[in-house]
Parts: sequence; C-alpha cells; structure tokens
Amino acid sequence: MMNTIRIFAPLAWRNLWRNPRRTLITLVVVSVGLWSVLAFNSFLNAWTQASKDTTLQLLLGQGQIHAAGYMDDPGVETLMPPPSDGLLKALGDKRINAWATRLVVPSVVQSEYKTLPVMIVGVDPKAEGRVSSIPGKVVEGRYLNGPDDDGVVIGRHLAERLKTGLGRRVILMSQGADGLLAEQSFDVVGLYDVDQQTEDYYVFTGRTAGQKFLRLKDEIAEIVFTIPKDQDLAPVIRSLKAVAPDMDVRSWKQLSPFLAATNSFMSGFIYIWLSVVFTLMAIGIVNTQLMAVFERTHEFGLLQALGMKPRLVLIMVTMESTLLIGLGVLIGMAMAAASIWVTSDGIDLSGFARGLELVQGGQVLYPKFDAGSFVLFSLVIWILGIVVALWPARRASKCSPVEAMRMAT
Amino acid sequence: MTDAIVSCRGVSKIFGSGELAVHALREVDLEILPGDFATLAGPSGSGKTTLLNMIGALDTPSSGHVVIDGQDLGSLSKAQLSDLRLNKVGFVFQAYNLIPVLSARENIEFVLELHGLERGERRQRATDILREVGLEGMEDRRPAQLSGGQQQRVAVARALVSRPRIVLADEPTANLDSRTTGELVQLMYRLNREMGTTFVIGTHDPRVMEHSKRHIELLDGRIASDERIG
Repeated sequence: MMNTIRIFAPLAWRNLWRNPRRTLITLVVVSVGLWSVLAFNSFLNAWTQASKDTTLQLLLGQGQIHAAGYMDDPGVETLMPPPSDGLLKALGDKRINAWATRLVVPSVVQSEYKTLPVMIVGVDPKAEGRVSSIPGKVVEGRYLNGPDDDGVVIGRHLAERLKTGLGRRVILMSQGADGLLAEQSFDVVGLYDVDQQTEDYYVFTGRTAGQKFLRLKDEIAEIVFTIPKDQDLAPVIRSLKAVAPDMDVRSWKQLSPFLAATNSFMSGFIYIWLSVVFTLMAIGIVNTQLMAVFERTHEFGLLQALGMKPRLVLIMVTMESTLLIGLGVLIGMAMAAASIWVTSDGIDLSGFARGLELVQGGQVLYPKFDAGSFVLFSLVIWILGIVVALWPARRASKCSPVEAMRMAT
Repeated sequence: MTDAIVSCRGVSKIFGSGELAVHALREVDLEILPGDFATLAGPSGSGKTTLLNMIGALDTPSSGHVVIDGQDLGSLSKAQLSDLRLNKVGFVFQAYNLIPVLSARENIEFVLELHGLERGERRQRATDILREVGLEGMEDRRPAQLSGGQQQRVAVARALVSRPRIVLADEPTANLDSRTTGELVQLMYRLNREMGTTFVIGTHDPRVMEHSKRHIELLDGRIASDERIG
C-alpha cells in the first residue's frame, strides 16, 4: 500500500492542478465549510459558557446546600443551622473556590405606592462578594457593609415599580420564627442593576439583620459554593452529601434544569450545523469530482490500456480527493484558528444588552481554541469527504479501455 | 500448439444487436509470430482497430478465441487482462496519449512503476530508452513542450520500455508530417531488427507499409490477404 501511495501521490497532486479553477472552488467549499463549523462551534461554546457564567455568578453558584424540604417550601420553618464542623471541613476542599451562607425567605416589600412579593436575602457581604456578582453591580448608593447592616439593596427596576429610590424607606413583611407577622422598615442604601427578573425578585440585607428581623437565632436557608472546574462538580457534590446526608445538596444543573437543558441543546446544535454544512459540501465535492472524472474518461481508459488495474485507478482518484479535501481542511482549520485568535479578547455584545437579558446571555463572549473539537470536526469532514468522493472514483475505475482507444483513434 | 505470440481462432465481434447489429469481425483466423513487423491495412470500417483491440486484450470477442502468449482472453478477469497488457503488450496510439502532467521520462517511468521496479532501475531504463528513440536531453519536458513527432517517440519508448512480447500501433503516423513519419517508421523498423520486438501496425500509410515484412489486408471484417514480404 505504501508503495502505491508513493507512486500515485505525486501524480494525484499534479492532476489536482490541471484545472486550478475547479480545484480552488472545491478548496473554498471545504475550507469555508469547515471554518464555519469550527468558528461556529467556538462561538456557541463561548455563548453557552458566558450564559452559564452569568447565571451562576448571579446567585446560583455551582451548587447549594439546603435543609431537606426547603426547596419545596422555602420559609422560616425549613431553615437549617450554620454549617457543622464536618461540613465546614468539607467546604474547605481545595476544589471549592468559595462559599457563603444566606438567609432566603419569601417576603413582601411595601412602599408608599405599592406592595410587591420578593425574596429577602440576608448575606454576609464579604463572603457574598466571592460567590456572587451582584455586590459589584450596585449602580447607586452602596452595597451592604456587614452581616448586621440593616439597610436594603434592591433592584433598580423594583425601585421604579415601587416608585421609591435611594435614601427612601421600604417596609418588609414576612412570617417570623414565632409564627407571627414580622414587619420592619428598612433604608434603601443601594440599587443594583442586573437582569429585570432578578432585580424584581431579590432584596438584600445583612444576614444577622435579617435573622433579627425574622426573630431567628442563627439559622440560615442555604450555603452556596463555587467550583472553578466543571469536572470537579460531581465529586464535590458526592463528598458534601457524604458529610451532610440529611441535607439537600444540589448542583446548578438540578437547581436550574432550564439552564442545564439550554446548555445541552447548544452543545447538540453544532452537530445539526455540521450535518447541514457537510451536506452542502458533499454536493459540491461530488459535483466537481464527477465533472473532473467525466473530462478524464479517456485518460482513465488509457491508463487501464497501459496495464493499470481498475483498483489502482480507484486508489489514484481517491488519493486526489484525499489530498484536495485534506488541503481544504488544513486551510479551514487555519482560518478558524485565526478567527478565534482575533476574537479571543472578547466579542462585546453589550449593544444588545436588553435582548441578551431575555435569553440570559452573557454580554461579552470569549471564543476559545479547543484542540479536541478542532481535530474531531476536521477529521469528520475529511473522512466523510473522502467517502462521498468514492462515487466519482468508482466511476473512473469503471472506464472501459477500449472506449478510450476508440476516442483516441 | 504453435510458438505464436497471438493466436486468433474464429474470432467474430458484433456490436449492437438485432437489426442494428454491426459485424466488425467475421471468423478471423490469425497468428502473429515472434519478430513479425506486420501491417494491418484496409479501408475504414474494415475492422483494423477492432482486431488490434482483440490482439491487445483491450476487448474480448463475441465468439471465437484470442490467445496471447498462451493465455485465452475469454477466461481472464478485468484485473488479469490489465496484468496481461502490462506484461505482454505495448501500445502506440494515433493521438500519442501521454499523461500530460508527467515529463517524458516520468511517462516512461510510470509504466515501470506499475511493474514495481526500483527507482534507480526505472530511471536508468527510462534514460536508456529515451536515448534509443533519439530524445536525449528532452527527458524533463512535458508532452505540451514536445512536437508531435517527439511525443510519438516517447509513446514508442513507453511501449517498449517494459520489453513486451508485442507492440501494437494503431495509425501511429496519422498525425505526423512526412519527415517525422519516415523517422518514426525507421525507428520502429530498427527496434524490430535490433531488439527483435514484434510490431503489428494498423495503418493506411504507404510509407509504413514499405517497411512491412508481413502485410495483412482486412475487408468487411475478414482477412482478405495475408502475405509475407521478402
């Protein structure tokens, strides 16, 4: 086989350039097709990652721990004590980047004009800053100073709906630990600006101040934690479940099935695109190769007349396709790598911020070079391209030498 | 059993069927012997090319037997026919039919590559045969850079380089001027005499027939005459 390749590879290469225009058309079809798959894959991954990061960094984290039953009926009856020594040790795992405790209970907020349902979130601002992006999203006033800060930070859109603002007072009402109504006025010390849904729903105060308001001791609603590497998520969840078997430990995929499904769909979408591109590419390759074979019918007959076996004609024409598509694949890879390199500093989509909010998309995408998918998609295109090019090659091998003789004379 | 290189017994070839059937060859009996320098003549449509195709294992008869160097074509597969052509037959075509992307030397080496010869031997034999046909110094030229006569010399060199039992030439001088025709005929004649190569040449050209040692005349698919000269 190596001998056959050695004989036919140079001939196949020269044959490619007998009709440079046709060869260039095929090269463009293959390289642009592959470039679109690789660049689109990188863009989709960046989009998926940015959407995921935006959502996880807001409040969700990579995972959360609650008391059993809290997720079904969040309230003062389903809170849990602060983390035990065993849980604290498990949360000190090197794979966990940061963690924070929160008090999260349903409440209503009232201004002079309106009463709206919200979730009151009691936080330790220092720890919260390590797990959530919201402390950095305060656009007016300030974030909370400490766990006992009894001011509130509310969303800008909520402030508009309540017709209130910085320095004004709002009243929060909820059920206290004693089962009676808890009601207290709070100063609005800051307004934050993220997506409208979050702004409308979450009101932040100091954790100790929240516990005091609800007449609690030191109970909390959740522990949120962040994990930098995706592959560490499942083992960390397992180890936390092991030390807190009676608690409800969930990953972000369980906490937000919609986000997980969106991620999964985005990953699958590239295969739809790959099949569309490949179908178009296959039509292009088969067309041009069939034309090339048709034009050289006489020559294939002649080669057989000289003693070349039909199998060798098939190998020679397949080799031409292999070289041609392989070259197109290399060019496509180079184009895609260049596109990713050019955009690796970030594609700023903040101009579409309002639209992106609706689909929970990130505003800046960072396409990354992924060697695995580069090699995989390139090989798929190359191999499938060779497979479809076998049809014209088979036709070439079927040429009758006597027909070629007839044409020659 | 004879020592004929090619033996045709009752060979007929019919193209098409029914009322449209064309009898290109009718019950042809012919033997080509080693060292023959035979011309195959006859008017257009007499069956010259069809008979050359049979002798060259490019086509198989509708009835009868063609035996080349002891092998009956009717019993061979397409791959075996290719092997037979590679090892036993050399072709020279009217339109030269060189591979356009290869140089003169590479066109010749290509046939030797099919034979599986090593690079050094290929190169040596290609160089020698090109010198033999008077193309020394033109080894690296591609067909488009050679005249018609030079291309046909390369084609003759290609047909001879693998030392076949028989060389078949179908109207080899049809595209050449008279001086080049003379040179090519002299070349083939010299190779026949010096190397003992058997030639069967389909031609109308009287300058080719002048050198013929055996003249076969075809008419309406039958051998009208077969005479040895001198």
